[in-house]
Amino acid sequence: MGRSAIISEESESEEKLGPPMPDVKRVLVADDSATVTTLLATALELEGYAVDTAINGVEAYEKGITGEFDLVIMDQLMPGLLGLEVIDRWQQEGHVNRVIMLSGVDDDRTVVSSLDLGAVDFVRKPFHLPELMARIRQRLLG
Amino acid sequence: MNPTTIGLIAVAVVFFIDIILLTGLVSLKAVHRRRRRIHAARRAEYVTVLSRHLAFQHHTDPFGTNIADDDAFLDAVIDLRNIVSGTEIDNLTGIIDRSGLAKRQEARLRSRFPLGRRLRAAVSLAEMGDESSAPVLIEHLDDREPEIRIQCARGLGRIQHTSAIDPILERFGFEQPWVRARFADTLVGFGTKATWPLVAYIRVNLGHDQNQGVIEAIRVLGTIGDQEVGPTLAGVLRVASDPEVAIATIDALGVVGGPLAIRPLKYTFRHPDWRLRAKSATALAQIGDPSINPVLAEGLEDENWWVRRNSAGALSILPGGTDLLLKAIESEGPFAADAAAEALADSGELAAARARFEAGEANHGDRVLLGYVTAQEAVPK
Repeated sequence: MGRSAIISEESESEEKLGPPMPDVKRVLVADDSATVTTLLATALELEGYAVDTAINGVEAYEKGITGEFDLVIMDQLMPGLLGLEVIDRWQQEGHVNRVIMLSGVDDDRTVVSSLDLGAVDFVRKPFHLPELMARIRQRLLG
Repeated sequence: MNPTTIGLIAVAVVFFIDIILLTGLVSLKAVHRRRRRIHAARRAEYVTVLSRHLAFQHHTDPFGTNIADDDAFLDAVIDLRNIVSGTEIDNLTGIIDRSGLAKRQEARLRSRFPLGRRLRAAVSLAEMGDESSAPVLIEHLDDREPEIRIQCARGLGRIQHTSAIDPILERFGFEQPWVRARFADTLVGFGTKATWPLVAYIRVNLGHDQNQGVIEAIRVLGTIGDQEVGPTLAGVLRVASDPEVAIATIDALGVVGGPLAIRPLKYTFRHPDWRLRAKSATALAQIGDPSINPVLAEGLEDENWWVRRNSAGALSILPGGTDLLLKAIESEGPFAADAAAEALADSGELAAARARFEAGEANHGDRVLLGYVTAQEAVPK
């Protein structure tokens, strides 16, 4: 793997998603871990979804207000804004996003708060990828 | 040469050396930064390829050559290992085996030096959690470096390699306290699978020179909380001559609970050693059976302040205990009332009594408590 491959990949990840295609579902993956975003983006792209990523809460919030995503997969603990705070702000400002919370925070309060705020699902880290993908497919069908 | 010239030359030499050192330092920093950037980029590449393999098991993208020697590949594998579960772990394990990554780390661990590289190998093996590395991890449980021993135990715990429990326990009596504590954490991670090896260890070593190991083993049993060990702990309490062992056992019995734990704790609650009596009061409270309330009420009259305090604290959280505390306030005993009033204040009962009194709803108990507290406040200190 040469440096050219690295450079092309970096520029690829910086590219904005193109105009929405009619049949392609669009998913935003927000997590401060590049490993998580890469894994999920790769898995989602292999299933034919268009994926964008955010590496902190503020970026997730800003991308979410465009309303162009069919589903958001959001980490709870992110710099800038917590996942729950992002959902809360979207709700207060009237932006509707379907969110699957993904978190290593394992306390019941976070799970309940997420669902109360309107998250459609909560998945704990470490996660089983096929199970998470099944949940995503199901939510996107709905 | 006059002194001024010599001085000027000296200043110039020092200045020249400083410049060389500074340049060297800046260059080293730049090289280090560049290496880190390249490492991060390579790691990201590996994460992408590994993600494809995880997302689609039959993916055929190559990883490249000599990846087992590439620390960026190692970091990428560990990163992914920590965020996935289930079949992906098997998938990653297959990749680790095929790439020779675990074997490479095992070889590094077996090498004599440098320590940093050996330690990193031990941490990596622990993080990768590959079952095939268990023999080498067991082998290094008695490594000369304590941090490596700890990492090996952690790795064995991570892969739940139950046959490692005995070798870990064998080290218990010899380890420094901080290493033993980390070994104990690993054993707790094994859960009830570690119960009977721990019991066997305690039975064999109790009364011998390895009491520190026995104490830690008892603490681990308490943390695991398997009720099956109630009779064993009761037996330990009967024969323990070392108060430290007895205290650890009482603590463990409090956590383990169950009816089998109450009888030995009632016994130690009347032990001549006040430390055992005080601990027993707390342990009995943890079990939470109100049938022991009358026994705890005896503790309010104990000659030792800690026993009275713990007994009163226990009664304040047990059902029906508040009535006994209020009765103690009315008693003639010289100490019981103090301990009872303090516990009632700590539990919020005093504040509740005040509120009821101000609302005109005070009952007899409230008036007794408030009367006692007011009388105490009036006593000049």
